[in-house]
Amino acid sequence: MLLSLDKVTTYYGQMRILEGISLQVGEGELVCLLGGNASGKSTTLKTVLGVVTPRSGRVLLDDKDVTGWPVPQRIARGIAIVPENRRLFGQMTVRENLEMGAVLRHREKLDDDFDRVHALFPRLLERRNQLAGTLSGGEQQMVAMGRALMSRPRLLLMDEPSMGLSPALVQQNFQIISEVHQSGVAVLVVEQNAAMALSIADRGYVLSTGEIVLTGSAAELLRSEDLKRAYLGR
Amino acid sequence: MSFFLQELVNGVTTGALYALIALGFSMVYGVLKLLNFAHGDLYMVGGYIGFFIIRWFGGAAKLFIPVPLLVTIMFVAAAVVVGGLGVAMERFAYRPLRNAPRIAPLITAIGISFFLENAALLLFGAQYRVYNTPDFISYSSGIQIGSVSIDSVQIMVLVMGLFIMIGLQQLINRTKLGKQMRAVAADREAAEMFGINVNFTIAAVFFLGSALAGVAGVMAGLLFNTVYNTIGFLAGLKAFTAAVVGGIGSIPGAMLGGLMIGIAESFITGYISSIYVDLIVFGILIVVMLVRPTGLLGRAQLQKV
Amino acid sequence: MSQLATDEPAPVAPAGPQVGADEWVARQAQRREYLPSWLGGTERLVEKVGWWPRLGLAAAAGLVLPLLHVGQFQLQVGIDSLVLALLALGLNVTVGWAGLLDLGYVAFFGFGAYGFALVSSDQLSAQGVHWPAYFSIPVVVVATGLLGLLVGLPSRRLSGDYLAIITLFFGEAFYEITNTVASSKLGGEDGIVGIDPIRGFGVQLLSTEQYYYLMVIFVVGAMIVLRLLEFSRTGRSWRAIRDDPLAASAMTISVDKVKLMAFAFGAMVAGLAGTEFAAQQVSIAPTDFTTQYLIMIYACLILGGAGSIGGAVAGALVLNVVLDGILRNPTYTGYLFYGLIVIALLVKLRPWRRLALVAGSTIVFGYALHAIAAAISHSWVSGSLQSGGWIASALRGWVIVPASATGPGDWGFVLLICMLIALAQVHGRTRTLLLVPTIYLAAFTWETLLGTPTNASITRYIIIAVVLIVMMIARPQGLLGTRRVEVPT
Repeated sequence: MLLSLDKVTTYYGQMRILEGISLQVGEGELVCLLGGNASGKSTTLKTVLGVVTPRSGRVLLDDKDVTGWPVPQRIARGIAIVPENRRLFGQMTVRENLEMGAVLRHREKLDDDFDRVHALFPRLLERRNQLAGTLSGGEQQMVAMGRALMSRPRLLLMDEPSMGLSPALVQQNFQIISEVHQSGVAVLVVEQNAAMALSIADRGYVLSTGEIVLTGSAAELLRSEDLKRAYLGR
Repeated sequence: MSFFLQELVNGVTTGALYALIALGFSMVYGVLKLLNFAHGDLYMVGGYIGFFIIRWFGGAAKLFIPVPLLVTIMFVAAAVVVGGLGVAMERFAYRPLRNAPRIAPLITAIGISFFLENAALLLFGAQYRVYNTPDFISYSSGIQIGSVSIDSVQIMVLVMGLFIMIGLQQLINRTKLGKQMRAVAADREAAEMFGINVNFTIAAVFFLGSALAGVAGVMAGLLFNTVYNTIGFLAGLKAFTAAVVGGIGSIPGAMLGGLMIGIAESFITGYISSIYVDLIVFGILIVVMLVRPTGLLGRAQLQKV
Repeated sequence: MSQLATDEPAPVAPAGPQVGADEWVARQAQRREYLPSWLGGTERLVEKVGWWPRLGLAAAAGLVLPLLHVGQFQLQVGIDSLVLALLALGLNVTVGWAGLLDLGYVAFFGFGAYGFALVSSDQLSAQGVHWPAYFSIPVVVVATGLLGLLVGLPSRRLSGDYLAIITLFFGEAFYEITNTVASSKLGGEDGIVGIDPIRGFGVQLLSTEQYYYLMVIFVVGAMIVLRLLEFSRTGRSWRAIRDDPLAASAMTISVDKVKLMAFAFGAMVAGLAGTEFAAQQVSIAPTDFTTQYLIMIYACLILGGAGSIGGAVAGALVLNVVLDGILRNPTYTGYLFYGLIVIALLVKLRPWRRLALVAGSTIVFGYALHAIAAAISHSWVSGSLQSGGWIASALRGWVIVPASATGPGDWGFVLLICMLIALAQVHGRTRTLLLVPTIYLAAFTWETLLGTPTNASITRYIIIAVVLIVMMIARPQGLLGTRRVEVPT
């Protein structure tokens, strides 16, 4: 298994945010994690990446326990994230932003990585010396994706890719996620937009108040009455 | 006219000093959004280090090493020790407060400032420590242009100040470390998510910024001759003002702000009275803050809603 | 949230988590973690006892105290502590509730004191101005409030950090004006002397007891008023703008007005404290209102817990009684210093085996080091201990005190700071190991440098600074505050 969380419990201060979460992402799979506000979705991603350390439970990468590992080592093992709201470094150029996605890589290989990302998003090559904060929303999303892909991840974490984007851009965005997935990268998408996420996902988990309450294949979840009531407004 | 020019030269020199303190202050503000009230006290520690080095090498009148070597040792030692002190300060007091409410590290900073001032009082005593600069660098060794004289200490301060600022600008814009510093300053959590070693980067910023304050402390000792335990407080305040007037977080801004404050101070002392210096500098600060809160060269921060 | 919930019938608590139900808020209490064992029990107990009964008990204790035949010195310490408590209460409004970092606060205290002194002495003219207290105190307090409004004006445009600098400059400006700029009017560094006591309606307060009772009444009165204010509309607005000014303004709170009110309120309380201070001290000088004192007030508030009324008062009483009442006497100081080390070890070191190991090693370490030092040179151990009483007899032969203690003491201090920083970085066995020399070094530094009578006042300031720094790291909510948790998800 590429990634598995084993009964992970996470606290912020005295508050319990995640409660015994277990989930798996296989090699090349596209898995989505659904949940409403304050359900612990982002915390789950941060736990996978190592920004947050769980109080108990284990995080496994390639069946290897990485629970106590710092972020850079996990990135070196093939994880990358597209954070919520993109979180670009607005006062830095597009090129510098991409460079920040590859801080851990060798300088010689950097050109290769740039070429690969530019091939996927030619627009970024045109705009390489522009400040990231001055780009349009769609272009910013490309920078965010490109930045994550700079480190050649095997598992891409996507935190709410639909947030704050127009429906057209959301569509385009999921298109890109799909393409990245088809190139062999496993993706874990965290979303509130359940219908959109399930339309491209293989499997899904539903998170509520820090606990996983439903799990199954995308098709099963789309049929689930509970989920329909809660997220699909039917 | 010559009085005016002389005051201008003095003002620019003091201004370069303030600019150096303001730079470190501004850098730290950039990455942590923290007003490091203890920054001025690092400058004070730098001043003391310079003094004790002069004493270890025989005292101002009876030095047993060449003056250039002495000055180099003073600057290097002050930069390294004060830089280290800055890193220790960050590691011990500020790092645990990274995610605390904004007000918490500010209060800690006040506590550290108070601690350093009193620790210096405890260790070095309340008496003024005198460098006796003229004993080893003669006032007449500088340049004389008409009736305006620029002594060699002033020349050194100006040249060093200029080089440091250019070097810093290059470091931040061109090097990998500089880019990482900017990334951390822009969004610490995002930087962490891409494997940037945030702790190291912040420590590096503290080291550089504090080292600049240490260097400024030695310069101040050479220029003004005296060091005592509370020189950091007012110098720190002036440096805040310089950083804010120039635009906090901006390096050219800190330079510009420092020069402005230095020149203003020099002219107020020369033409009005030294009693009003602090009040007028304070007035400048208020006006700039109310008219242009981002400072002269600062960029407006977009507030995310 | 809870406001909305009452409109509907009480929801039946779900047995388990349900899809889509936003029950996070409802189940928040269950998700809160208390401290382990008896500490958690105390936490729950204190949360249960009401606020008003606690105030009543404290007030009664304060009023009964002079009946216990305490001396003039103790009463004076009491008055000073209560003045500090009043100041901390005022600062709590601006800093603790409204979250505005006011670093010029001590100037309001000074303004109140100078204001009262000017209208109650011969300073302004030859025959003097001598208003009765029932007139002068309200006038001065209101004037200080207006000054607070004025100083608060920049807060409308500037956020926290900039405001801190502006107010810091304001405090400096006040000092410079009283000390040098307007020295002819305000007495310069000698300040104002011969200030009237509090008098009016034919009564004059002269004795220390009377001022003590007056201060108790003022502090309790201020606590009552502030408590009522805390849960009023204004009090809620203050906390709202502290936590999120943007959201607060969206809730139609007039942020500017509320900020100015916080400034004015804090200033008024400080002004009131200033009038009592001036009347009781008879003379005042600029050095009474320096940044040093400001930091002392901050230390009180932080120690007690910013945002908590009881905390502000408790912090002031504890800190000032310790610094003024105990640290003046070297023997008591020794008890306090070593007592704190022992208590810290008892509380923090677990299991018992480890504690015994550290204690044993420290004792052996000391005697061994002392024996080695004595064998090398007698002058290394022939200095005299600073502590008296049984502590001195316990330490003799254990801690090294060189004949000329100043130099080694200085180095010991620097080394101690390094050791403490190192101690905070390492964990596990290394920490336990490092603890032994650190404890010994602390004792050494205390006996050679910090505990000496010549350094008493500096040590006092260093303690204040350490309280500020350590409290912010270890327990930012203070002794009595509740921690504000921000939950990002």
